[in-house]
Amino acid sequence: MSASVNFYIATVHLASSIKQTIVAMLGVTFGISMYVFMTGFMTGVNNIQTELAFSALAHIRVYNDGPADKTNIAKRVYPNDVINLRNAKVIRYTDGIKNSAAILSLLQSQPNVSGVTTQVNINVFFKNAGNKINGTISGVDVINENKVFNISKYVVQGNWNELKQRSDGIFVGYELAKNLSLKINDNLNVLTSDGISRNYKVIGIYQTGILGADKSKAYITINAARQLLAFNQDYVTDIQINVRDFNQTQPLVDKLAPVISYRVESWQMSNHQLEAASGLRDIIAIAVSFTILIVAGFGIYNIMSMTINQKIKEIAILKAMGFSGQDVTVIFLTQSIVIGIIGGFVGMGLGFVISKLVSRVPFEVAGLHTLPMAFTPTDYVLAFIFSLMTTFIAGYLPARKASQVDPVIIIRG
Amino acid sequence: MAADIILKSEHIVKYFYEPEKFQVLKDLSFDVKRGEFLALIGKSGSGKSTLLYVLSTMDTDYEGTLVINNTLLTNRNQNDLAAFRNEHIGFVFQFHYLLPEFSALENIMLPALKLNKKSKAEIEEKAYQNLTLLGLKDQALKKVNKLSGGQQQRVAIARALINDPSIIMGDEPTGNLDTQNSQIVFDIFKELSKERHQTIIAVTHDVDFANSCDRIIELRDGQIVSTASHS
Repeated sequence: MSASVNFYIATVHLASSIKQTIVAMLGVTFGISMYVFMTGFMTGVNNIQTELAFSALAHIRVYNDGPADKTNIAKRVYPNDVINLRNAKVIRYTDGIKNSAAILSLLQSQPNVSGVTTQVNINVFFKNAGNKINGTISGVDVINENKVFNISKYVVQGNWNELKQRSDGIFVGYELAKNLSLKINDNLNVLTSDGISRNYKVIGIYQTGILGADKSKAYITINAARQLLAFNQDYVTDIQINVRDFNQTQPLVDKLAPVISYRVESWQMSNHQLEAASGLRDIIAIAVSFTILIVAGFGIYNIMSMTINQKIKEIAILKAMGFSGQDVTVIFLTQSIVIGIIGGFVGMGLGFVISKLVSRVPFEVAGLHTLPMAFTPTDYVLAFIFSLMTTFIAGYLPARKASQVDPVIIIRG
Repeated sequence: MAADIILKSEHIVKYFYEPEKFQVLKDLSFDVKRGEFLALIGKSGSGKSTLLYVLSTMDTDYEGTLVINNTLLTNRNQNDLAAFRNEHIGFVFQFHYLLPEFSALENIMLPALKLNKKSKAEIEEKAYQNLTLLGLKDQALKKVNKLSGGQQQRVAIARALINDPSIIMGDEPTGNLDTQNSQIVFDIFKELSKERHQTIIAVTHDVDFANSCDRIIELRDGQIVSTASHS
């Protein structure tokens, strides 16, 4: 009813002590811009970490775990007898995944699966004349491998898709190439654990920034790998699966594990440290941002308390003239909310500018060129909501105090 | 007969509790007629100001009953009382107590904007009329702290009048003014009571001021010691 006059008084108050208003707004602006910047930076770092991690790691991996420990097989039959079995040997079980086509078609019918690729991974020696290095060859489905791991992004020489046409071609890691003095079009000799030796032609070099991979891993086509092992066209050792939201692997794992007779492992199971690191970074970002917001909130609280102490006589007058306690609360709360809204908007803008500037700072490490930065609209919206909440709380407490001013005590002195 | 009584107070008793329990007002009962110009006098500590604040509805911590305009105001909540003051009571204090961020015109308009019964244009016109009545038309758009003490007090009166209140209450309205300005303020009050039939209740130390009123109520130690009518 008299909302407009309350708002009018609030705006006159704000405008008449413009310096104080600006100081309070700057408090919010800095808080919000730091919040926006910190979350953007942390999200950027997390995204880069995730991207780097998932360049070598699929969200879910299906593989043959090998035979279970069967050394106590006799013990199971005669649990109460003493049996001496020495030098027990495991007989050869099936390597790799049988009937991979059926599993693939099952996976492709899952709604959350965004990419599936098959691999034949082989432990080998890479030889260039006298120089021998222990490593892994990954026989890959060239197109799908790129969909899941985005490997073409890390290719520094050559063209990833060329591998598809070259059954003699091999992509080697940057460090591996350096250690073996390999250049494009050089020959690379590969020796398997079964003693089979074959030459491949280096047609590309990649660099993921993960030293472990760059130093010891090479890619050939999956058929070339099967050929190297003399296995059939259905043979794979690993099926790598990506899902739409990499945090949501558990439902699919729960669904697949009972129907697939091989080990189904999500990235969280195999890499607890990644999950922990990403979670910890989130906590740090939130803690820092909240601290900044709370400091800004105290700033507003102080300024509003000061304003109210200065204006205590005027509050008494307003009450004498017929403004209710509620009106007084609205008048002062409006002031802090206006400060919150304007400070929040400017803060989002300033945060965006700071983020833009920082995202151009050169940072030449591990395949990065500049500092990572994410620009997530929801972070900006959240920051704005936080600024409103902070100013609301910081403004409400002094405003409520103002509403309780007893005009008689103030006017009579 | 009853319609002529604008304010009726019965058995008003009030205590102060600090520093120790002390009875300030001792069973005060009196009526004020519509259009009456009433002065409350008494020495410091006689309870005259305390009584005024009880009558003003701002002080609610008392015993007894208070009726203004046939409305019982005892034991009402603060918000109702604020709304009642807004519409029915105008205040003039010893110090002008204007809002320094606003111009004279805006100060006068605020209570009417709060009442929200007229359009802004009507309120502005009314505010200009009041300023003209008080001879301040050319000061309307100045910030109030640019005005002299006498002018500020007249702005405060114009503000008190904006909602055509039934009662105007003054706490030492001339206490801070020189003789000339006191006379101006007094003449305005007199005119309001005679021509507009607005009731005026003023606490004052000023003997000349009091002697020119319709009626004087003198308080001593929280009791009415004399009531004198001049009209």
